[in-house]
Amino acid sequence: MRNVAVRAAGLISGWGRGVTALPADARAAAGSRRVIAAVPTPRTGDRLRRATRECVLAVDAVDALLEEGALSRDEIAGDGTALVYVTAAAYVASNRAFVEGGGGALHFPYTAPSAVPAEVAIEFGLHGPYAVLIGGARATIDALTHAATLLARGACRQALVLSVETFAECEDLGARGGWLGERPLVEAAVAVLLQPSENMPNIGEGDPDGVGGGPGIGNTLACAPLVALALARASAARAIVLTGQWRERVATITLGVDGPGPCPAAA
Amino acid sequence: MRLDPVTIVAAGVVTPIGGDLEAFWSGLLTGVDGISTIERFRSDDLRVRRGGEIKKLPWRSKDVACRASRLLITAADDLLARAALGVDPARVAVVVGTALGGVAELERALEDPSDTRHAAGALYDAPAHALAAYLGARGPVLTVSTACASGATALGLGADLLRAGTVDRVIAGGYDVLCRFVMRGFDALRSLTRERVRPFDRRRSGLLLGESAALVMMARDADAPAARLGRLLGHASTSDGAHISAPDPEGRGLALAVRQAMGEAGVSAADVDLVSAHGTATPLNDRVESHVLRQALGARATTVPVHAIKAGLGHTMGAAATLEAIACLLAARHGVIPHTLGLEEPDPECGLDLVMGAPRTARVRVSLSTSLGFGGCNAALVLEGGPA
Repeated sequence: MRNVAVRAAGLISGWGRGVTALPADARAAAGSRRVIAAVPTPRTGDRLRRATRECVLAVDAVDALLEEGALSRDEIAGDGTALVYVTAAAYVASNRAFVEGGGGALHFPYTAPSAVPAEVAIEFGLHGPYAVLIGGARATIDALTHAATLLARGACRQALVLSVETFAECEDLGARGGWLGERPLVEAAVAVLLQPSENMPNIGEGDPDGVGGGPGIGNTLACAPLVALALARASAARAIVLTGQWRERVATITLGVDGPGPCPAAA
Repeated sequence: MRLDPVTIVAAGVVTPIGGDLEAFWSGLLTGVDGISTIERFRSDDLRVRRGGEIKKLPWRSKDVACRASRLLITAADDLLARAALGVDPARVAVVVGTALGGVAELERALEDPSDTRHAAGALYDAPAHALAAYLGARGPVLTVSTACASGATALGLGADLLRAGTVDRVIAGGYDVLCRFVMRGFDALRSLTRERVRPFDRRRSGLLLGESAALVMMARDADAPAARLGRLLGHASTSDGAHISAPDPEGRGLALAVRQAMGEAGVSAADVDLVSAHGTATPLNDRVESHVLRQALGARATTVPVHAIKAGLGHTMGAAATLEAIACLLAARHGVIPHTLGLEEPDPECGLDLVMGAPRTARVRVSLSTSLGFGGCNAALVLEGGPA
């Protein structure tokens, strides 16, 4: 796992599109709201007609990534891009709807967590290495590590790490089950594109000048480390230490950030 | 890129055809049919009411409320009876695959708005953490959910943790429970057959579901104990990017997974002695899988034995790929390949050397195991085994 950098990042959250929409103080911005719901882009046509909200949010996040990184769809399509998806809870809403709504053939495939990356893979033509991890921020660190492993062994030339969390339809269940943490709960969909980079510090080494966490945007579960990466990219940090915690397990990773400002390679 | 093999020290299972590894293996060889009428939950409103339901679980796990966790713990007991962990618990990881996680707990939580206990188990990663707590494992706990390929992807990710030096032992595998949620889903899709499950048969008409848990203990070759079941040589998981529920008609994602896994393993078609196929017995799956296997095996496609074990177990979803990997290693250990239950009239379009009618004696060293799942998930494992 060597020399990996974030080439692009796309963020959709309950606060809006991109890092500029994030508030300085989530609690104050939330007011009395317990869940800050993200709204997917309205779409016309048949392609995503049956897709769930979390699927469309994921597609929105990858669209945002392409825009932020000034990339074309062709640049991520094919079998050279790995897709690693992680979520703690974005499938619970579709599971619940299936149980309570009586179910049906059209809805059932969307109850699987893998439906979200499947729609992304279909939409953007991704056919490469693939994994889906379930868990909170700790699982996202595992997802980033897996992506870096795939890059290091040459299984792909770049890796798209994607996370989606939705809460609006299942907040009561989360509260009952104790698996939602502090409020406000902020829905999010985040995608980051990792590429090998000779000019970046090695993973687990380096001298990071950005630190994960960001300005307290609210509770985004698995999305949190990727939100921090998006913030780091926007702030032109050269490297970032990310820490993810979930179910009393903690992991840390250091990643390079190929920021939109002066490229470290040219600096 | 060829990777270091990882040792599979031992395995443990609980299945509809046997509650431990010996019973599972014996059931495969003797053609035990684990399919029965479902008794544990309401199914009278479904087209198909049969599946591979485990009728009785060990008494010692009775206090575990979540059935998925109970299956995992039962498989872990079977595993630990064969091999001790023997390392610092902080250096033990748990990596398990599942298609359904704790969805049966969600069903129960939704029945009772005041319920808290089952709501806590509704997340898909809850059973993996329950297993880690049972084992006392304090290393990473990963839950993989690449649908019905999950049990293969979990073994691959577990191997990576060992290669990276993150841990010294990995308990990896897969599980899923038979519940009303998944029965209703597959029933609505009309994927369940009212007849017998017949993989690669020209009369095949669909699958039946089952429940199981299957676990293996993995270690780096250099620090594995002398007694070993086999080795994982290679793994790859890929996405089709084609359809939300059906496989790519050309099987391109599965073909890539097979190529990458064989590349990691450093083997060619000439080295493969056995293929354990996903073999769900749906018309499309078996056609696509046959096409990919013929491509991958080339001139040897009609001479490499291919079998599928889902007819007697049901499709055990997250557990399926791990069970099939274990069956490959047991075939190598004992020099005999279980036959494909339900297969009587091979579909000539499949064009493979299908093991049917009775187990076949064979020298097996290298096996290829393939898996597919909803959302265009594919996985391939390359395994190596041999006599004890």
